[in-house]
Amino acid sequence: MRSRTHEAVLPYILLLPAFLLLVGMLYPFCLGLYYSLTSYYLQYPHLFRFVGLGNYLALAKEPLFAYSLKFTLGYAAIGVIVQVGLGLGVALLLHSRIVGRGVLRAMMLMPLMMPPVITALMWKIMMASTKSGILNHLLSFLGLGPINWLGSVDSAMVSILIIDTWGNLPFVALILLGGLQSLPYEPYEAALVDGASGWNVFRFITLPLLKPFIVLAATFRVMDALRIFDVIYATTVGGPADATMNLHMRAFFFAFQWYQMGMGMAYAMVLLALVFLASYFLMGYWKRAAEQTTT
Amino acid sequence: MATACAPTSLVRKWTGRLLVSLAVLLLVVWTAFPFFWILLTSLKQPLDVIAAPPKLVFEPTTDNYLAIFIGQKRGQYSSTRPDFPRFFLNSIVISCGAVALSFLAGVPASYALARHSFRFKEPIAFLFLSFRFAPFITFLIPLYILFQRVGLYNTYSGLILAYQLITLPFTIWMLRSFFMEIPLEVEEAAKIDGCSWWGILTKVILPLSLPGMAVTVILGFMFSWNAFNYPLMLAGRQTFPVTVGAIQFISYEQVLWGQMAAASLVSVLPQLILSLFVQKYIVRGLTMGAIK
Repeated sequence: MRSRTHEAVLPYILLLPAFLLLVGMLYPFCLGLYYSLTSYYLQYPHLFRFVGLGNYLALAKEPLFAYSLKFTLGYAAIGVIVQVGLGLGVALLLHSRIVGRGVLRAMMLMPLMMPPVITALMWKIMMASTKSGILNHLLSFLGLGPINWLGSVDSAMVSILIIDTWGNLPFVALILLGGLQSLPYEPYEAALVDGASGWNVFRFITLPLLKPFIVLAATFRVMDALRIFDVIYATTVGGPADATMNLHMRAFFFAFQWYQMGMGMAYAMVLLALVFLASYFLMGYWKRAAEQTTT
Repeated sequence: MATACAPTSLVRKWTGRLLVSLAVLLLVVWTAFPFFWILLTSLKQPLDVIAAPPKLVFEPTTDNYLAIFIGQKRGQYSSTRPDFPRFFLNSIVISCGAVALSFLAGVPASYALARHSFRFKEPIAFLFLSFRFAPFITFLIPLYILFQRVGLYNTYSGLILAYQLITLPFTIWMLRSFFMEIPLEVEEAAKIDGCSWWGILTKVILPLSLPGMAVTVILGFMFSWNAFNYPLMLAGRQTFPVTVGAIQFISYEQVLWGQMAAASLVSVLPQLILSLFVQKYIVRGLTMGAIK
């Protein structure tokens, strides 16, 4: 009897230290949620008062809100398509019999473990707008450029996407490579017997079987793309002319440039809701895809 | 028919090979070139950095490295950021502290989540996981206000606590996935032999998952090393890690490109070395144990 109650309590005791830290994380979160309902100017504490949904209403009227929302969603959508598409290509390449596959695979890990800020700074050097930038120099051989990569409204988002893709393409590629290596042989043997073409094998066997892996990689990429901050902060800081202003950057500006903590938190909560919705749908989609392929 | 087919299939084969080789070459250049260019930039004099067209051949200098490590005054290009060694040390202290705390709290928690059944088990596990996906700003704003109030702003302990948002969910999910790989029979055999839960944990589970724990610690350290957002606002000049330190080379008046390149390379050195040891587990770590 004694040992049974012991058994029942044990997991909670084991969880206690982590639980204390969890409370330490939830407390600031709840505090932040409350701040989003207040007018909180860090420099003018006497103006602090509860305003209900006032910040959210004010935010909805802000012209930059619509833009940053659009940018956040658009960036995530374009980013995930580009990165999963290219990642699939790289995975297929690494899966085929090529010389030095192991070396290539190890090399792909290097960008993956770089701090995103440092990645951004490296590319910032290469993307120098003048003719001293190496990318512009290389383009000049093709008779193109010079491009004002990070400095112009038209190319800033693409430049950020390039940097982000350099850092995260290996992530997608390695997940899909793992997927390719785990696929069963039987369907391929059957296809060989039937004399199916290479494209048909890819389209009707590889792609459906790989679906759970593709969805998982896409899920992680969408969540990270919605929240992208480091790369933008280190390169354009939301500029030029707010062209790369996403919700995350906007929240940061409100809180730490203008010290309007309430508005900053309201923006943060909108972003959180977006991430939550995306994760809810994508995770469900992933589960269904995983079940489909196993049955 | 066969004779007509042979040359075309040969041509096809060779164009296929050529395309694959080209793709491989492109991939290698795409991946390696930024490293090569940053190394070159870090060895350049300020005037060589901004030379147009960019110089491939130049007189290399170690000035940038000397500047970031010793802060030597060298004419107008003197380093205005002589505290890079300090940033490096800060990164080590904060990352080690964050990983140690997460590990101590995470081992028992992930063992409970892997092996025991109790109410709200999955919701608790997913609550931890959700921190992996929450935008950092939702925590950063209240933490900034709180830390200033209670004196944790610009302290190692404050940063180590804030980093738990990164390392604790990771540690718990990663260790859980390793613990779950240990066959239940091993544990049951130990139970029959009269081992208490403590005996099972220390004499069976922990020794068997030693490699997994090593991987978790190393990856946790690397993820903390990469952290940028939290220290950006919660640290001050005395506690900046290398990630925040590296952007200090950009100031209103000028960008010290060469020094920034040198600092960037030095600050990713631990990452590049450590990733050699955990190669096989990086994807597993990045997906919180979802992919093995």
